[in-house]
Amino acid sequence: MTNSPNFILYDSLRNIQTNGKFTGAIISKWQDKIIFSDNIFVSELEGISISEGLMVGFEKIEKKFTPFSRTNNFKWNSNEIPLEYSVLIPENTMEQYDQGQFSNDFPFTLNLLHTAGLYINDLKCGINHLDFFKGEILKNPISMIRNGIIVADRVVIDDNGDPVFYDCLIVGRDKSDELKISYEPIINVDDKVVEYIIILGIEELKI
Amino acid sequence: MLLFENKQQKLLNLLKFTGSPFKKFVSTGEIEEDIGLVQSRYDLLNSIVNIIEKDENFILPIIGDVGTGKTHLFWALKHELYYYNMVYISLEKVIKKFYYYIYSEFIENMGIEVLRSIARRLCDNWGALERKFGFFHLADIEKVRKVAFDTWAPNFENKTAIKDIIYALTAHQLDPYKKIEVERWLLGEIIDIRELSRLNLSHDLRGRNHSYTMMKVLVENSIVNSVLFIDDFEKIISMMKPITIEEEKEEVFDRSWLYGSRESPEKRTAEKLLDKVLNLNKIKGLRIIITLKSKDYYKKIQDQFENKNSGLLNVLREPIILTNFVEKDLATFYKKNLEFFFGNINYFDYFKDFSDSYYPIDENVLKYIYNYTKGNPREIIKLLNKIFNEIILSNQDLNEILKRYQ
Repeated sequence: MTNSPNFILYDSLRNIQTNGKFTGAIISKWQDKIIFSDNIFVSELEGISISEGLMVGFEKIEKKFTPFSRTNNFKWNSNEIPLEYSVLIPENTMEQYDQGQFSNDFPFTLNLLHTAGLYINDLKCGINHLDFFKGEILKNPISMIRNGIIVADRVVIDDNGDPVFYDCLIVGRDKSDELKISYEPIINVDDKVVEYIIILGIEELKI
Repeated sequence: MLLFENKQQKLLNLLKFTGSPFKKFVSTGEIEEDIGLVQSRYDLLNSIVNIIEKDENFILPIIGDVGTGKTHLFWALKHELYYYNMVYISLEKVIKKFYYYIYSEFIENMGIEVLRSIARRLCDNWGALERKFGFFHLADIEKVRKVAFDTWAPNFENKTAIKDIIYALTAHQLDPYKKIEVERWLLGEIIDIRELSRLNLSHDLRGRNHSYTMMKVLVENSIVNSVLFIDDFEKIISMMKPITIEEEKEEVFDRSWLYGSRESPEKRTAEKLLDKVLNLNKIKGLRIIITLKSKDYYKKIQDQFENKNSGLLNVLREPIILTNFVEKDLATFYKKNLEFFFGNINYFDYFKDFSDSYYPIDENVLKYIYNYTKGNPREIIKLLNKIFNEIILSNQDLNEILKRYQ
């Protein structure tokens, strides 16, 4: 494993591992699931551990996709790390993200109490509620797109039925598979490139 | 090609068109002074800056006779310490709603963005912007208020005021339904009782305790340091003077009913005002500069401080004496003024053609002005204005006019 450039803590694809204990805003990708955490411990010998992380994704229960967000402790030994990558969002990017946020109490914003699936791209058991929420402001969307993750403060479905994310952090790979982090105040995404969109429930965040 | 030009006549013609460059002979806290200090006052300015930078809380008296440039010194200080919140008030104008007035001046000086940033920082300290799982804000406004009350409010004397302020600051950051109205409250606007009750606040900032506490919050939590410049401080002493029989007016209402036969209402007001100023000194990081017209007033202020509490004399610094101009200063002052004036009207040829001259007057006239005015800056400006008006308005020959002032 080699040393990473600044924010990359672990990248299995490019063989990058930065050992140490890190705190801040950390996003880790595990298969098609995302783990949010404020800490991570990366060690050559002991592997990777995250305490009190929030895992978000879809799970298949009886041939149906069900969204979930669960708090858990995660630990993987050095020889069996299933994470694709783990990145620490720089503090100045987080400041931008914080500044662009609406308050939870902002009028006309839909705050879902429990985590719900807005969209999943699957031929057999897909979910698509984009049309139903057209024009509404939904708080706390998490989206997996073809080669990245979008964490946004809010999402609005435009007239074409495409999601428009506001105040978003984007983690993704560029053409040379290098991991990149960026902040965008607004981003319009074609629903064809979206793998799924989950709306985090605020009550579940409080647990 | 222009072969000859009477530049002196051109300058006189220009002056006839623009009027005298020395019109303003009284400096005020409202209108900015752009012309800097004269050479002999640089050391004085530096010593004030040193005191301000070295100490956090003090009252620094500046003593100077009428027209020596005390208010002008405020502007020079403001330009020098541009990275400070520097606020000016004159006791000739502000006696009632003292704290409210100073608070408004601070807000005007700092601007709304600084107020917002302070509110944000404070709420952040109280846990409002805490991120769960590193990303998600889950602020509970009641919880944030409780943290603020428990950890922060004990440092403030007036509990009702600090309760309202915490309520307003948290609502400003976390309650979008009330944000706009609360921002008006924080800016010191007058809020009617119905609106106050909707915001769950007891008073607006016109209340003495509220404006004082809010000012304390603002000054102590601002990233930049603050200086309060109180002009005409001798007003307090002059208000304390007993009214002589000649001055006493015949009044239908006998004031002794309220204030007793020994005290006048003005004296009571002055004492209250002094207490308020001394209270301001309790705000951590607020440097206070006061101006006095004479050393006598300084001694009386010292006595007043001693009567209140002898420990207060420690906050009173050694006074800085502002004297009249020395002779050299007059020439610099005159040139600076003219350069500023002609620069302002885009007549840049003045700098080229008259760089070494005092035209339209001369050195002898400057000497006369200095001797006549004894170097008092205000008197100098008045006399210069008189001479320039004569030059501009009269049809007499320039040399004849100047002869009268030599």
